[in-house]
Amino acid sequence: MTTLLERFIPESRDYLESAAAGLLKLERDPADEGLINEVFRAVHTLKGASGLFDIPGLTRLVHAGEDVLGAVREGRLGLDSEMVDLLLGALDHVSNWIDGLERHGCLPADADGVSAGLSKRLWDFMPAPDGAPRTEPAALRSTAPPAWLDDLAPASLRAAFETADGPIVAVSYMPDDGCFYRAEDPFNLLQQLPGLRLLRAVFREAPGALAEADPFRSLLGFQALVAQPRSEIEQLLRYVLDQVTLYEVAAASSSANSPPSSMAARLIEEQRRIIMLPGDDATLASRLTAVSFTLGTLLTSLDWLDHQEALAAATDRESLIAVIDLLLQRAAPTRGAPDASVAPAGGGPAATAIPAVLAEERRPLPRMLRVDQDKVDALMTLIAELVVSKNSLPFLARRAEDVYGSRDMSREIKDQYSVIDRLAQEMQRAILDIRMLPVSEVFERFPRLVRDLSRKLEKQITLKVIGEETAADKNIIEALGDPLIHLVRNSIDHGIESPEQRAAAGKPEAATIQLRAWQEGDQVIIEVSDDGKGIDPAIVKAKALEKGLITVEKAHSMTDQDAINLIFLPGFSTAASISDLSGRGVGMDVVRTAIEKINGHVTLSSELGAGTLIRLSLPLSMAVSRVMMIEIGDGLFGVPMDIIVETVKIPRSLIRSIKRAEAFVLRNAIIPLLRLRSLLELAPREGVAEEEAVLVVRVANSTVGLVVDRFREGIDVIQKPMDGLLAGMRGYSGSALLGDGRVLLVLNLKELL
Amino acid sequence: MPVTFTKTMARMVDVCTVEEAMPLLDFLKSTPKARVDLSACVYLHTALLQLLLQARPKISGWPTEPLLARWLQPLFTTDPQTA
Repeated sequence: MTTLLERFIPESRDYLESAAAGLLKLERDPADEGLINEVFRAVHTLKGASGLFDIPGLTRLVHAGEDVLGAVREGRLGLDSEMVDLLLGALDHVSNWIDGLERHGCLPADADGVSAGLSKRLWDFMPAPDGAPRTEPAALRSTAPPAWLDDLAPASLRAAFETADGPIVAVSYMPDDGCFYRAEDPFNLLQQLPGLRLLRAVFREAPGALAEADPFRSLLGFQALVAQPRSEIEQLLRYVLDQVTLYEVAAASSSANSPPSSMAARLIEEQRRIIMLPGDDATLASRLTAVSFTLGTLLTSLDWLDHQEALAAATDRESLIAVIDLLLQRAAPTRGAPDASVAPAGGGPAATAIPAVLAEERRPLPRMLRVDQDKVDALMTLIAELVVSKNSLPFLARRAEDVYGSRDMSREIKDQYSVIDRLAQEMQRAILDIRMLPVSEVFERFPRLVRDLSRKLEKQITLKVIGEETAADKNIIEALGDPLIHLVRNSIDHGIESPEQRAAAGKPEAATIQLRAWQEGDQVIIEVSDDGKGIDPAIVKAKALEKGLITVEKAHSMTDQDAINLIFLPGFSTAASISDLSGRGVGMDVVRTAIEKINGHVTLSSELGAGTLIRLSLPLSMAVSRVMMIEIGDGLFGVPMDIIVETVKIPRSLIRSIKRAEAFVLRNAIIPLLRLRSLLELAPREGVAEEEAVLVVRVANSTVGLVVDRFREGIDVIQKPMDGLLAGMRGYSGSALLGDGRVLLVLNLKELL
Repeated sequence: MPVTFTKTMARMVDVCTVEEAMPLLDFLKSTPKARVDLSACVYLHTALLQLLLQARPKISGWPTEPLLARWLQPLFTTDPQTA
């Protein structure tokens, strides 16, 4: 893949996204000119950029979209929902094609056909050409002669006019920064102009150091004199007319006497200044010769031959000054009047103008880097290893003291350790920060989803998004996409009533779905709430009974909240019929599984008739997890901190045996007791302890007590998944390396129990 | 390859498109006494022209293609100041 294509792909995705988002907003607020301009610009830029590559299908479709949007922008066409549907559909196709382009380097085989069909439907929206031909945007017509004409050497100006028999047009073509991305090639375009008489290149802004140059950012502008009627030039430059200024140089200009030239006036003034400079006679003499020579050349090129004699006669300072004054008078009336700003305020011709131009045109460059994710991940792995190896320093310090008997050495190592520890932590935080993405990455697709579904189901729904800037680790954000889509779909499909039902229930016809995200400690909370009909516990119970998920007794003893939670059971689907929206054979259990996979929790609350609220709590980052260490026999194990409810010491006498199972009472609740030794298939502990160390954990919505040998401290670890031969081992979620080189196995209690 | 690089010389041949801009820039950046031979060039993209005008390497051969020859060389004789 070429560099250019590599850059085109992510950029085009950005354009597609902003166009789609803009369209959605525009549909609600069609009068917003800023929005239509934004959408149009995105599509327009995309069209131009796509022209760089051999993907005609894509270019045509985008072009059709641009035409429709252009008509809307000019007020010739009203935007309606059908049009938005079609445009969004077209953008979807383009987005798929971009994916194909990235994977295979070409468009799918059916792209041309799809493009032709869609483009035609788009063009059908265009207002019928009622006799009047489509007006091309006209180039900016300058009324004042452009200042750069004055800078031209009179000789070359004359040469340009001499060979012309028609009008001469001064063309100033200032492409914008991004013109190379739109397949524009200003230099070669201008070369194609018939009647090109003169071509100059100017930097629109100072190009700066080569080391920092961006070769794909266009800085060059061109100025040209063209012996062609203006309309011809406009026709040839029709695709770039917005960047072109034309000025028809009056035909009279070609008469020998008058090429007006403030440049000439400046030159003459400069000569005057030179001879007025102080100096001794010898310097003055050589200055006079030089000035006289310059003026002679000037007169020749201006064709002011009648002054030649006077100049030749002027051999001393005073007479030369007299001639200069005369020349200045002649030059003066022809300059300045229409455009006083051209006259220099002193100093060199361009020197004073540049800083102002620079200040105006230099925009801050985007300070963003697109970095391959693998590189960040590699950095992440490295820092993880650094954290682990740094943890071995305290052990070393202890050895220095215990084994080698050097306290000083030990203290020095500890000092060094604290420095390295701080740096490693900061580094780790910085890298985690790089991986942070705002939740808007996933929220972005919902306006579209809600709009499409609500149109399809004929429900009126407003989507509110709050806190979209809340950030979390990239993996979390990515894993969040599908569950969230499912939740929102569920809300629209099952939660929200039809406008009639809502009206009957005394609610506003338009329902609201709210997505809210915020950070709470080291957790990110995302809430999906709606003001729909809520979940009826009775219906849920009946359904669960029918499917044999619960027993009749259990159904009777259940609280409403427990009943509602039944929808998380695998194989439960409340939808009476499986629609094509949600309920595609997958239920809320999939959502819960997906969220739990990234160490999150789902809770649901619902009020019948008032709406449903689903709350997802997710860790900020998956990279570092906090575990509590426990000791069993000689082995150390980790238990994820977030499932631990508390640690208690239970006297043996308080442990009751119920048949073969054990249990104990904690604050008036019976908690089943399991022995981790037997779960891990280790030999029972020798001897009888007076007290048992019990870890109370909450797993899969039930509370369990686990008997361990000893509690140890909690630590932050970077978990590595079990791989290789150990990959299939049940009961462990991963391993982590401790500072002293020992391996900590992190238990997956859900699997163990 | 429309552009071939030797130690101090970039030889631009036939149609030189915008895709050559990156290699050309790298060459100009790393070669203080760079020379550029355009004699076999028939098409020079604006991006390349921009680089040449910016870096001002020694041009050891001007294009022989008439249109390009007519318009390219004069661009180098004047100093393209900032507009």
